[in-house]
Amino acid sequence: MTAPLTLSHYMIVAGLLFLIGVFGALTRRNIIGILMSIELMFNAANINLVAFDRFLHPEGVTGQALALFVMTVAAAEIVVGLALLLAIYRGTDTVYAEDFNLLKG
Amino acid sequence: MLEQIVFYSLSLLTLASALAVVLHRNTVHSSLFLGLSLAGVAGLFAALGADFIFAAQIMVYVSGVAVLVMFVVMLLGRASDLHLRQINERWMAALLVCGVAAVGLFKIARLHSATVATGAPRPSTHDIGRLFLGEWLVPFELISLVLLAALLGAVFFTRTENAR
Amino acid sequence: MIEHAYLIPLIPFAASLIMMFGAKEDPHSPVAWIGIGAMTICLGLSVSILAAAAGGQIPLPYEHNWHWFSFAASIGGKSFLYDMPIGVLIDGPAAVLLVVVTLVSLMVQIYSVAYMHEDTRYKRYFAFVSFFTASMLGLVVSSNILVGFMSWELMGLSSYLLIGFWFEKDGPTEAQKKAFMTTKLGDSGLYLALLFIFAKVGSFQITQIHQFINNGYMTGTVATVIAIGILFGAMGKSAQFPLFIWLPDAMEGPTPGSALIHAATMVAAGIFVVARLYFIFLAAPDAMLVAAWIGCITAFMAAAMALVSYDIKRVLAFSTVSQLGFMMCALGVGGYTSGLFHLTTHAFFKALLFLGAGSVIHSVHTNDMRLMGGLSKKMPITFVTMGAAILAIAGIPGTSGYYSKDMILANIYYANQPIFWIMLGTALMTAFYMSRLFILTFWGDDRDHEKHHHAHESPFLITGPLVLLAFLSLVSGYMLNRDDLVYRLLAKPTISAQAPAGHAPVHAEAASADAHAAPALSAAAAEHAEGGAHHEGHLPHWLHLALPFLVLGSIGLAFTLYKGPRYALADGLKSTFAPAFHLLDRRWFLDDAFDLLVVFCDKVAAVAFWIDANVVDRVFVDGWGLLTRVFAEISNLIDALFVDRTVDGFGGLSLDLGVGLRGLVKEGQVQEYLMYVAIAFSLAATLILTR
Repeated sequence: MTAPLTLSHYMIVAGLLFLIGVFGALTRRNIIGILMSIELMFNAANINLVAFDRFLHPEGVTGQALALFVMTVAAAEIVVGLALLLAIYRGTDTVYAEDFNLLKG
Repeated sequence: MLEQIVFYSLSLLTLASALAVVLHRNTVHSSLFLGLSLAGVAGLFAALGADFIFAAQIMVYVSGVAVLVMFVVMLLGRASDLHLRQINERWMAALLVCGVAAVGLFKIARLHSATVATGAPRPSTHDIGRLFLGEWLVPFELISLVLLAALLGAVFFTRTENAR
Repeated sequence: MIEHAYLIPLIPFAASLIMMFGAKEDPHSPVAWIGIGAMTICLGLSVSILAAAAGGQIPLPYEHNWHWFSFAASIGGKSFLYDMPIGVLIDGPAAVLLVVVTLVSLMVQIYSVAYMHEDTRYKRYFAFVSFFTASMLGLVVSSNILVGFMSWELMGLSSYLLIGFWFEKDGPTEAQKKAFMTTKLGDSGLYLALLFIFAKVGSFQITQIHQFINNGYMTGTVATVIAIGILFGAMGKSAQFPLFIWLPDAMEGPTPGSALIHAATMVAAGIFVVARLYFIFLAAPDAMLVAAWIGCITAFMAAAMALVSYDIKRVLAFSTVSQLGFMMCALGVGGYTSGLFHLTTHAFFKALLFLGAGSVIHSVHTNDMRLMGGLSKKMPITFVTMGAAILAIAGIPGTSGYYSKDMILANIYYANQPIFWIMLGTALMTAFYMSRLFILTFWGDDRDHEKHHHAHESPFLITGPLVLLAFLSLVSGYMLNRDDLVYRLLAKPTISAQAPAGHAPVHAEAASADAHAAPALSAAAAEHAEGGAHHEGHLPHWLHLALPFLVLGSIGLAFTLYKGPRYALADGLKSTFAPAFHLLDRRWFLDDAFDLLVVFCDKVAAVAFWIDANVVDRVFVDGWGLLTRVFAEISNLIDALFVDRTVDGFGGLSLDLGVGLRGLVKEGQVQEYLMYVAIAFSLAATLILTR
């Protein structure tokens, strides 16, 4: 526990968070659950970006700026996603992903 | 020592609440745990010395996204949802996929097991501001356009037919 | 001229953008001539390159690269600088294929001016066709397989757009989704192969990969895995068993578009990529054997299905699949030259067949051959040109198909006797079903008076391309075969596979045999080794003499069975006597035989599928014990869906295996798609990082 923190500590936490997100996105039946899992994945990527910035390039802020971009895109994604969900819910009266198969071929 | 305690407790908080987000049957609780997990990530940012990202994370995610998600959950939730399974039948395959991917991720992470931080973290708000209004001005403006498009898109998708 | 080769894909690409975004939608606009003009320029460039190459004025292969981007990476404490150039690589096959693609595309576009003249999305059609051709040309000229892969995917996109061109109807949208999904399944294999190549070689440059293998740095196992991945991609694009299910459905698009897909672009791409990276296959004999058997099975199954179909375009589609099987099989047994030779000749007569079928359909407004018949007097030019194509594909001596198919059979004969006899049977079946199509369509009496009455010869814009293609179908084989031009242009690449120091040179014998049998890349070396190539290019004398007679016999059989009576009976002409009934009876036996045959095919298919899954599994178990479970999961999924679907297919005794296999991804479930993505990426990441 007292060993100095290294980059791999942060990468492992981020990796685990990402895998939890992947698992959620693959298995949650609820579309909102899928969206939340995707947010977790975005956050895992952000941890990595900020950690790389701190450990590998401490003289610049590029990683942090990229993390801000990711945050912005993630916010846009969840807003549009939720709006779409609302619109679909009005038509179909369900929030479960397996019922959304209009494009079924 | 303090550094290690902070890191491990924040990681535990983040991962445990993330698991709760994914596994909890009640979507309302899930969304609450999402806020907690995102706050844990914000704490990790603070531990990494990224003060501006920390503030942004709190403002955008914990107070914006999490609340928005909770709002939609409340709007669309039904009492019957509590009695339905919230995990589909593919969970075993998903677990397998995650396990395989975990092997690869750990391989990568191990490459940096000797990389330690050098120097004390510096406040970054000033530098980020310079970067955004200087070298990265064009991407910065573009991302604001993305936000504008998202805004319009959200309004467009949620409008009702008779409200034209 | 060759230094401007980079213009060949760029000009049609620009033309497609101009047509798509610069023109108004108007059925009578002259917008099509932009695409035709662009393609004419490209054809001129390509012909000049080929002529110079054939005459020996420019040395092939020609390569020129420009700086694209480079990046530094630090892996395990070591830092590497990766350089990614973009450029053109013209070798013999590329030069030949450039001419084929531009020529067929030009013919298709001219033809389409007349064929599509009533369509409301006129300009969009021509923009798609130009875009499609540009993607294919990009794949052909690129010296970098990353760019090649981008073109490959763009081709998938354009085929999607073209197959579903009439998207108001259900059929085309179903077909376009099926084509896209199926080819994408194959693409995932190619993608993994590319990742492997980059992880091993650190470059996407074709010449550098060749160099890497020449230096003996690539072990047999790795080469086999990569080759199987590439083969999988080719199975998707070139419609090989078991991924050929999309091609028969792709008929839903406009007929000239089908001609483009079947002759010049889409299906040629898979064969071409295998040929382009052939040196990897040479380093992986196991993968070559797999390719040979896949080609053989594909050729046989498709030919069997073509025997019994009544839809004129469907018969042609099955015949395409079958001929592609021939090419794949040829490549698999080491017949690099013959496979590419057949690709070239096949492009001409298959484009002609499709355009001719389009002309017929345009005239009688049906796909059903039972409603045609007796069109020879109404449509003499279509009749004669189609006849030329039929002679070529059946392999009548002197036509183009004769030379290329003969060479393929010879190569197979010396490499693998069991495959040879199956392929010989398939070649005779080819002659049979093509004559059957010809007889049902043009011969005998009209079966549907009304349709026959309205039938008319097509306008000049349609018959012109037909005549030119008919000419090429007849003489291109002779032209290319003369003075062994084909051996010089399509010379088989060599690898000097010397084992790295420390290993015993086990491959030394095979390598020297290779060098003896196959000419090296340069023309001089080709002439030096011509003797060896000659030996492989000819069947034993008695077979060589017997083959035309067998083909003629096959055609004669088709005439005997399909000329007249049964259809005459259906028209109420009951003046025939016992022989006619006898014939009817015989036909009945035939149908029974076909049914049994198809059932047998399905059985064979199931067995082959099982073997396939197991072989693939075994390869990976050897390499990566860790991944067995994931692969079992995937093969299990495919197996379950396949068996399930086959049972459905039996129900209606449908001859269309495509319907039987419809939709490996059947649910329309977003999370299921996501699962495939996750599987692919977790596999890719782990395979590369734990290598």
